[in-house]
Amino acid sequence: MKLRLTDVSLRFPRSVLLLVALLTLLFAWQFPKVKFDNDPENMLSAKEPVRVFHHEVKEKYALYDFVVVGIVNEADPEGIFNPATLTRIDHLTRELLSLRLGENGLPEVSDFNSGEPSSGGYRSIDLNPARSWQQALNVAFNHQPNKLFDEQGQSVIIGRELIAPSVVDNIKQADLGSLKLEYLMEQAPTTREEAMVIRDDAMSNPLYAGTLVSEDEKAICLYIPIIKKTYSHNVANLVRNLTGDWPETDKVYITGLPVAEDTFGIEMLVQMATSAPLAGLAIFILLLLFFRNLSLIIAPMIVAIVSVICTMGLLIGLGYDVHIMSSMIAIFLMPIAVADSVHILSEFYDTYPRFQDKRETIRYVIGHLFRPMLYTSLTTMAGFASLATTPIPPVQVFGLHVAFGVGLAWMLSMTLIPAYIMLLVPQKQLQKITPKDAKEIPAGGLLNRIVENLGSFSTRRWRPILLLASALVAIAVFGISRIQVNDNPVKWFSPKHEIRVADRVLNSHFGGTYTAYLTLAETQPGICDCEANSNAMHVEVEKRFAEKYPEAVATFQEKLAELKKRYGQISGPDVSRAFVELVELAETLDNKTTALWWELADEINYLDPAGLNARTLHERIAPLEEIPREYKRILHDAVAPLNDLQGEDLLEAALEITDLYTADSFVDFVYEMQAELTAPLFKKPKILAYLEQLQAHLVENPVVGKTSSAVDSLKKAAYELNYLEPPGGLSQSEQAAYRQRNQSFNAIPETAAAVAQVFVQLEGMKKKDSLFHLITRNYQEANVWVQLTSGDNQDMAAVVKDMQVYMQENPPPTPMKIEWAGLTYLNVVWQDKMVKGMMTSLGSSFVVVLVMMMMLFRSVLFGILAMIPLSITITLSYGIIGLVGKEYDMPVAVLSALTLGLSVDFAIHFLERAREIQLKTGNWLETAKQMFKEPAMAISRNAIIIAIGFTPLLLAPLVPYQTVGFFLATIMGVSWLATLFILPALLTPLQNIAFRKPEDEA
Amino acid sequence: MKKILMLPIALLGLLLATAPLHAAGLSADEIVAKANQASYYAGADGKADVTMTIKAADGGTRERQFTILRLNDGAEDQKFYVYFQAPADVRKMAFLVWKNADRDDDRWLWLPALNLVKRIAPGDKRTSFVGSDFFYEDVSGRGLDEDAHSLVEETADTYLVRNEPKDPGSVEFAHYLVWIDKTDFLPRKAEYYNKQGDLYRRVEALRVESVDGHPTVMESQASDLKAGTSTINSFSNVSYDIGLNKRIFSERFLRRPPREVSQ
Repeated sequence: MKLRLTDVSLRFPRSVLLLVALLTLLFAWQFPKVKFDNDPENMLSAKEPVRVFHHEVKEKYALYDFVVVGIVNEADPEGIFNPATLTRIDHLTRELLSLRLGENGLPEVSDFNSGEPSSGGYRSIDLNPARSWQQALNVAFNHQPNKLFDEQGQSVIIGRELIAPSVVDNIKQADLGSLKLEYLMEQAPTTREEAMVIRDDAMSNPLYAGTLVSEDEKAICLYIPIIKKTYSHNVANLVRNLTGDWPETDKVYITGLPVAEDTFGIEMLVQMATSAPLAGLAIFILLLLFFRNLSLIIAPMIVAIVSVICTMGLLIGLGYDVHIMSSMIAIFLMPIAVADSVHILSEFYDTYPRFQDKRETIRYVIGHLFRPMLYTSLTTMAGFASLATTPIPPVQVFGLHVAFGVGLAWMLSMTLIPAYIMLLVPQKQLQKITPKDAKEIPAGGLLNRIVENLGSFSTRRWRPILLLASALVAIAVFGISRIQVNDNPVKWFSPKHEIRVADRVLNSHFGGTYTAYLTLAETQPGICDCEANSNAMHVEVEKRFAEKYPEAVATFQEKLAELKKRYGQISGPDVSRAFVELVELAETLDNKTTALWWELADEINYLDPAGLNARTLHERIAPLEEIPREYKRILHDAVAPLNDLQGEDLLEAALEITDLYTADSFVDFVYEMQAELTAPLFKKPKILAYLEQLQAHLVENPVVGKTSSAVDSLKKAAYELNYLEPPGGLSQSEQAAYRQRNQSFNAIPETAAAVAQVFVQLEGMKKKDSLFHLITRNYQEANVWVQLTSGDNQDMAAVVKDMQVYMQENPPPTPMKIEWAGLTYLNVVWQDKMVKGMMTSLGSSFVVVLVMMMMLFRSVLFGILAMIPLSITITLSYGIIGLVGKEYDMPVAVLSALTLGLSVDFAIHFLERAREIQLKTGNWLETAKQMFKEPAMAISRNAIIIAIGFTPLLLAPLVPYQTVGFFLATIMGVSWLATLFILPALLTPLQNIAFRKPEDEA
Repeated sequence: MKKILMLPIALLGLLLATAPLHAAGLSADEIVAKANQASYYAGADGKADVTMTIKAADGGTRERQFTILRLNDGAEDQKFYVYFQAPADVRKMAFLVWKNADRDDDRWLWLPALNLVKRIAPGDKRTSFVGSDFFYEDVSGRGLDEDAHSLVEETADTYLVRNEPKDPGSVEFAHYLVWIDKTDFLPRKAEYYNKQGDLYRRVEALRVESVDGHPTVMESQASDLKAGTSTINSFSNVSYDIGLNKRIFSERFLRRPPREVSQ
């Protein structure tokens, strides 16, 4: 039964080869359908609540993913604020805004190089790489660098939302105490003085300092909004092209999570096309070194390639996108696929001289390798399939496909390798293999000697070995306790990668290029506390009018009581109806009191100021019959002493007097109360003040560089509206008084109506609706743009935690809920799921493998023994990660599955063979001696091939690939040592229990 | 360059048109001049109540009510007074605009809750009027000589005029088309194209009625086709030649609104 598959292959080698070729072709047929998905956001299911919320927030506040372009000038004494650099930035902005699809299918932008900037000329640009190798890669991965347009041919840059000095609002003081609303840089400056004006305007705007311009005045950031993240790499390339001719002193840095993520996706495909084949090549060379037989070693390469092609074909054929995870399938599958066939080859190579017959050698080799190979494959499959239990769709797809590939590789090892050897390995070449004691292969011979010496060492010195192993495990456990769970897609690039450099540079100049959004909303919106409103008005009306109009106040309060009874707790439209009734009542109350004063004031207002003095004023008012004489007398008495006033001035003075009486308007009072009491949440001064404090608290966190909210806009606008230019010739203290007065308006206005009136000005800024990125149009919800200088999940998570605590300790005046969105936050969520998912999956697959081991060996003891090298390997690998301070990130998490699958293999081979040999020898020491011949050689060759074969990955510019390379070497090294040292060391004292007669165990 | 007009209220409301009968063989410039008269200069003065409904891309709406007073002051100069009635928090807020033919417009703002009159410096008039999709320029008119006009098409009842800016750097559009009714010369629709050649903005007269003998836009709409927002202005209580006192259009009346708007 063990040999049935192999016997079939030996008998029909041609059919097997043909079948495999056909199968491979069928799967390869699927390749052209490939779709790539570079978006780490897809680590979360599309229905994941936090992702849904993230998109709601983006929609609600019209937020887009940004390509962040930083321009830094450290050379100019004025930093970035010199005319030449600002002009370049202005041109870049206009070029980006003008982007359109040319008739030749290439992008076009405004041409500033020839003729007038406004001449409307366009120039065509081609972003295709010049190098043909890169062009070929782009074709292979269906990546079109010039794709900067949607299906309708519209630019993917959302021009109206671009943030750049040339297109952001600026409020500033202008001539005659007027207020100017314009763009920060309406025109590129031509002189240093003009550049300084732009600098001062930018620095004095809290929304821009630290965001648009760096506070050290050395850098400016453009934020380019794009319709979809997946265009960010192309947009970044466009910017590189447009700034290609800039001088050295104006350095351009491009970063932001979307660019990092998209660029990673594209570079990952390049790695897929280079690293995996490179690793394949390295393995091939190592195999050649070990076996010196080209035709023989092609077999494992074929197994690896066929497994990878079929697995990827299956993935593509099933309609899955190739995601960051699945791009690593080739890398994971190759060592596993090679491992099985190396076991066969190694044994074949070592035993062929004994049989001198291909068929017999194969039957012998497969005969005793069948069980361990089946089990190693099953355990590896279990390890990867367990990833299907994680809550992360791409990881599930990855795990299941690798499991499929491992199964396939086993199948191929059992069938293709024998068929291949029968058909394609010439007998003649095999004759060259001489019995191994001839020591003809220096590498192999040396390895043989080392391995054999190891064997006697580990059986003789088992005590120190076990002691040392325990000590190492203890240290590793300590290391594990220090593991930092953290991830940051930008850190998936190696430190010298331009994205990492840009990230470092820009985050040192600015408030942070990582974005998170903190949203605030009422817990129970729309609930009107009518009773409280009614009470507030009851008190307020008394305070204002009781002295002068006690009767009217009583009437008003009666009405309030009646309305309260009628409408009770009901909200919404009833509130407006109640106010309409109050206004009607107020009008009748006013008719008895202030209405006549109104009429008098109105008459005065229309008077022709020409020739007006106290006397003529009186003469003109006297004939007004409807105005009571008493009112006229009050006015006359008040105006009479002002006999030096004339014309306009007198009119003003008279009106100020009538103002005293018209101020007692019940109608105005009701509207005022309506504005205050029914104000939406974020027009209420006390709520805005809470938001202000919350922001102040946020920036205390060292990773939060800057926060922006509607409060910042509001304060800035209130300040500029109220600003008074000090007149010339003032003393220092007088000037200081002016400054102090002006500064006192850099604050949240005191009433809801005042807040609303300032907000209306902001709604009508030059850049329409920019306010609504920070507040909803109904002013019920607000959004704080939080900039972080670090995209590390740990840092983001700390900010989130800190905010929770803050909200608990400082509850808002109205119950509010806060929620986070933004890519930086999304990463925290999926990483959290990833870590927890990986722990569970590792735990569950550990148990599954343990059970499988006990079944394989039909022995609890051997089951446990088999788990020891793998446990030690996992412990030591993660211990090292903890000790060297490498963070537990996505790649490291996924590698745990690989560790489990690979490191149990050696133990299975070792224990299975040990038992087999023990049956023959009946003596453990003799068994051990034999074990350290062919079996140990096969294990060692495997370990070396995989460990060294993947070192090319260490050169990859992407950290996850480096991590895989490092990890594979570590796993191989540790599990090799653990298997060859610790298992014999354990078996020596345990030999009497372990090797009871088989009958005893049954 | 002659700086354009300023404030509010729009293509819409206070438009006049002394319904000239089919004037055959008019040049594009003549048509545009007549349309300008019809749209912005009806009567010696005028008044209207406006309900402005601003619609966001997600369908949510905000409403504002205000009253507009307009006074023609000489051949081209005009004065506008805009007084907000609702919502309650902006009640009594007011704008004052002097549209000057020969220089920049003058513009003042009254914020009652801040007890503040602020002068607004001249600036780009193709910016949002109080957060709506209308521009200040839609409200007060665009200088005729700022664009080159050409007659694209003439049908039985409509002139289609194409307008290209003489200074393309000063505006966000590359050109715009205006459909002008041949009987009353009121523009019915204007469509704006950006430099990429896309239609991105539309201003329409949705309902035209005759008031005191003046064809008057009673409902108009401006749409930002890229952002997906739109604004409708509905006019009511429109009247012409009511004899407005010129003194109303002064800072003093900002602080103490005239009876024409407050009653």
